[in-house]
Amino acid sequence: MVVGPDASISDQVPVGEPPAEAEGSQKAIEGRSLGQIAWRRLKRDKAAMAGGIVIILLILVAIFAPLIVNAWGYDPNSFHQDAMDPATQAPLSKFPWGAFDSKHLMGVEPPFGRDIFSRVLYGARISLLIAFLATLLSVVIGATLGLIAGYLGGWVDWLISRAMDLFLAFPILVFAIALAGVIPDKAFGLSGDTLRIVLLIFIIGFFNWGYMARIVRGQTLSLREREFVDASRSLGARSGYILRKELLPNLVAPILIYATLLIPTNILFEAGLSYLGVGIRPPTATWGGMLSDAVHYYTIPHYMFWPGLAIFITVLAFNLFGDGLRDALDPKTR
Amino acid sequence: MIAYIIRRLFGAVLTLLIVSMITFGIFYLVPRWAGGTAEDLASRYVGRTASPEAVAEAAKALGLTDNFFKQYWDWLHAIFAGRDFIFGGSTYHCPAPCLGYSFIGRNPVLPDILDRLPVTASLAFGAAIIWVILGVSTGVLSALKRGSIFDRAAMGFALGGVSLPIFWTGLVSLVIFSYGLGWTARGGSYTPIEQNPLDWAYDLLLPWITLALLFSAAYARLTRAGMLETMGEDYIRTARAKGLRERTVVTKHGLRAALTPIATIFGLDVGLLLGGAVLTESTFSLPGIGKYAIDAITASDMPKVMGFVIFSAGFVVIANLIVDVVYAVIDPRVRLA
Amino acid sequence: MKRRMVTGVAVGVAAALALAACGGGGTDSNTDSSTGGTATAAFDAANGKVFNPSDKKGGTLKMAISSDWDSVDPGDTYYGLSWNLARLYTRSLTMFKVGPGKTSSELTGDLAEGLGVPTDGGKTWTYKLRQGLKFEDGTPITSKDVEYGVSRSLEKPTLVNGPTYFNDFLDLKGYKGPYSSKGQDNPAIDTPDDQTIVFHLNKPFGGFDYFAQIPATAPVPAGKDTGAKYKEHVVSSGPYKFESYSAGKGFTLVRNDQWDQSTDPNRKALPDKYEVQIGLQADDIDNQIIDGSLDVDIAGTGVQPAALSRVLGDPTIKERADNPLSARLNYVSINPKVPALENIECRKAVEYAADRTTYQTAYGGPQSGGEIATGLLPPQLPGFQKLDVWSAGADNKGDVDKAKAALQACGSPNGFETNIAYRAERPKEKATAEALQQSLARVGIKLTLKPFPTGDYFALYAGKPSYRNQNNLGLMVNSWAADWNDGFGFLSQIVDGRVIRETGGSSNLSVNIPEVNSMIDQAVTETDTAKRDALWGAVDKRVMEEAVILPGVWAKQVTVRSKNTTNVFVNDAYGQYDYLSMGVQ
Repeated sequence: MVVGPDASISDQVPVGEPPAEAEGSQKAIEGRSLGQIAWRRLKRDKAAMAGGIVIILLILVAIFAPLIVNAWGYDPNSFHQDAMDPATQAPLSKFPWGAFDSKHLMGVEPPFGRDIFSRVLYGARISLLIAFLATLLSVVIGATLGLIAGYLGGWVDWLISRAMDLFLAFPILVFAIALAGVIPDKAFGLSGDTLRIVLLIFIIGFFNWGYMARIVRGQTLSLREREFVDASRSLGARSGYILRKELLPNLVAPILIYATLLIPTNILFEAGLSYLGVGIRPPTATWGGMLSDAVHYYTIPHYMFWPGLAIFITVLAFNLFGDGLRDALDPKTR
Repeated sequence: MIAYIIRRLFGAVLTLLIVSMITFGIFYLVPRWAGGTAEDLASRYVGRTASPEAVAEAAKALGLTDNFFKQYWDWLHAIFAGRDFIFGGSTYHCPAPCLGYSFIGRNPVLPDILDRLPVTASLAFGAAIIWVILGVSTGVLSALKRGSIFDRAAMGFALGGVSLPIFWTGLVSLVIFSYGLGWTARGGSYTPIEQNPLDWAYDLLLPWITLALLFSAAYARLTRAGMLETMGEDYIRTARAKGLRERTVVTKHGLRAALTPIATIFGLDVGLLLGGAVLTESTFSLPGIGKYAIDAITASDMPKVMGFVIFSAGFVVIANLIVDVVYAVIDPRVRLA
Repeated sequence: MKRRMVTGVAVGVAAALALAACGGGGTDSNTDSSTGGTATAAFDAANGKVFNPSDKKGGTLKMAISSDWDSVDPGDTYYGLSWNLARLYTRSLTMFKVGPGKTSSELTGDLAEGLGVPTDGGKTWTYKLRQGLKFEDGTPITSKDVEYGVSRSLEKPTLVNGPTYFNDFLDLKGYKGPYSSKGQDNPAIDTPDDQTIVFHLNKPFGGFDYFAQIPATAPVPAGKDTGAKYKEHVVSSGPYKFESYSAGKGFTLVRNDQWDQSTDPNRKALPDKYEVQIGLQADDIDNQIIDGSLDVDIAGTGVQPAALSRVLGDPTIKERADNPLSARLNYVSINPKVPALENIECRKAVEYAADRTTYQTAYGGPQSGGEIATGLLPPQLPGFQKLDVWSAGADNKGDVDKAKAALQACGSPNGFETNIAYRAERPKEKATAEALQQSLARVGIKLTLKPFPTGDYFALYAGKPSYRNQNNLGLMVNSWAADWNDGFGFLSQIVDGRVIRETGGSSNLSVNIPEVNSMIDQAVTETDTAKRDALWGAVDKRVMEEAVILPGVWAKQVTVRSKNTTNVFVNDAYGQYDYLSMGVQ
């Protein structure tokens, strides 16, 4: 599976020093938690802040898409045949690339003349929703298993590590396609788009926990041997306590960084699935689905330009922000 | 060392076994979730006039009525012993190693996959060479000139590169360079290297560049981060203090340490790519094994899909194995892990 | 890139697609039946007449297709393009006369000296083979080889693709074919001598000569038959033989020196060689034909949407294009076995509410999509009558008022919900589903889109009664082309309720009307052609009245001629360029 390799996909995300020492010195520097330090650093990183702002805007756009479309555009699924040439199926607009028309901001798509602007906005909802929740699922599974493997070691570690290898060895994309192709109409009390979204989240999230687990396991392995863990253990703390109170807080940074960088990968993955025709069903607008339709009309470039641009901007914003976050939480790599 | 390799080999085989079992399980279950019975599955292979008896005969001959474990065992057994299917008055022979038999195309799966492998291999290796050279050199230069305009531009470019979906860059570059300017080969062109190496390279140029662009962006970022980390290490300072020339410090000490993790990822990436560059091959209509898989899914030709999954998982597992062994050779501590 | 299926051609595993016809019929302006030729390039210059006539031999004709068809094995193929192409390397008992316009509406002898001689009221058909026929290896072709070819085509478990006419009409008495019934003689076919072949049917059938032109009647030497693998080594009986064959990738045909022109009045055999490439990207095929590096898109379904504006917009390309009509109907089956649609009033509401103009747009508009259909039989077929059972209004945008009234009568004044099935890999069918979803929503009929894998559409999903009824597939996008251009060739497989099989696989998804079934029986046995045509016309009307089929468009396509080719014309029997007659400049 090659959806788009990303720097983030390796376990080389430099996670650096865990802020264990900070605990001791916390009192000395009044009120400056790790979060505050990181936030101060982040604020200085212009690219990351730009990425963050774009992300917030995208989320707002996704949430308020129906309102924006109501005020500005058209229903994403309604036809505007008057904007199309019936014989050649090309848009009639005189404007280059069919865009910036007074009626249709980004032009219309063949063959029915649906408004591209509205469809791109609605596409953001699907993309972001699936990417966020799938990432969450990967993080939960990956972090839990990684933590357990790293902390307990022994045969548990062996078992989980082999499972990790297993999931990394799967040709995920093909697998996801085969699975998504046979999603039933009704299951678990859900149906239609809702069911498909839930199952896509599950497929994307479930097959992607391997890398997360690997990183968390590696971190846990090194943290386990640290003095503060030893100290806690010698004070009689139980494993559950140590996991939750000592290890987990120190793992927040790598988990957060990796999660931010996993989101864009998942956006690309979802787009890839929709592109191959196994994502959300038409007529619901998705970026990958729009691109897949655009292929048949490559002579009309604006049709593939806008959804491509949407994917690019979104993924870039998350990558910028994730990079900045990593730098902020881990000054050593700057 | 040998004990380590044997241990890892054993692990690799086990991984493949489990992958195959899970895959088989899912493909066994999936049609049944979709409401298909053994007879439904068999009815696709026996023609339109088939009587219920003929369908039942085929279902039995194909082993579709058996339980999951029997079917899995038969499938596994066929890899080593081959298998014959007899129904409807004809015999279909799938010689060992039999990764499955497609009853839609009426041919064994493995020869098909091997037939298409050169395309995928050409795509993967050609792109790999470009992206390693481009990615690593950009990364090293960026790290050495940290903060310079070159660094910023290169990293900005790299960030853009990893943010583009390959099917989009592929499409756009096809439209511009092939359909528009006519500089590169049209989508779907492929000439085997033994026929004409120049045509081979010409046909694959655009897919190579598209794929390499994506990967070199990622590699540039990785190399830069690795270099920066290494160059901050104490032993580099020591090397400098010894009065070594900066060039020697960078190439002999810095680069070497920084490249080790890159090599790991490179191994895995090539393994994954050989396992089917699904989106690239779909975008450029290249007749490789990734497109083969997509076509098989489209035709619901499950034996083909199954064969592909195992085959490509095999590549990843082998790549993993090679990387681990190479690692163990470089760094003896790993063997203890 | 998502692959486009060979849209019109691959109507699916079970769907017989096939001989598309065309030509000049009713609404098309090229009714010119003259067979005179022209060398002046103009739009539609090869439709109804020969463009660039020539007898020059030699050269290589380059053909390509984006995705493979079922098989090159004459006993295992059901694609129109394949039947068109098979005439190069096989000869069947009869064939359609080769020529433009109406020429091909008549049959003539190919292997046989002439058409079949019916006896016993049409239950027995006898053919006399020509003298001097040889296979590519020089062995003489006898009637035994023809019998073997037909017998092996009965073996549907092995040769799954071909039509089932011989299985259905021959008096087989339990005989299954040479693989399953080893050592037995086919009781339905007699070969009293090497030149004579006699077919015994289980019921009288006046149109057997149409069966005799199916490629399955091509001779196959029993010793060379390798079952499903025969497609890799087809033994030629025609003017060309296979030089190489690579499954799924392509093949080359070269001259067969054992073929004797004096035994064959129908074939010109102009090129020295045919190169066929399979798996080229569909858009590339268009571009290469336009720039001259390819000659023929074997699919014959017209240019892709991307090339359309270029072809129609550039006069120098447009003059090289043709716009033939095929005997193909793109339609939607309305399932009368699901809630709401059980009631004819609710089905009427669908018929009235559907916007035919967006349906047409979904298929590519008036030129590359087709004409808005008002009944089943395409206008160029005998028996066609202009129907207007469910008027879609003067503007063809649907009659919302009548639809609402029908819904009222159905007892669901606010509409109802159902599903629409289509083949996932067919963008035009997807667009059709989207178009109907929009237009039916106007009266409150809510459609949910249900894509299914193309390969299993008829076998497991829409074509399987238990599946479509249980899963509430109310509407199912469908497409059908005539096996040959008469009422039987077009209608028999899609409106006869008895072809519906519980195990799935039939292309008839919704029509089972006892009255229609008996009308079909009457039409099949009718020997008078004019009366028979009228009976098929009546079948068409009766099926429409039941509102179980929503007709969409009678397909048309925009095809481009290569600059290199000579003797180009659309063969109406196939609705495609005639692959047998083309030459190279």
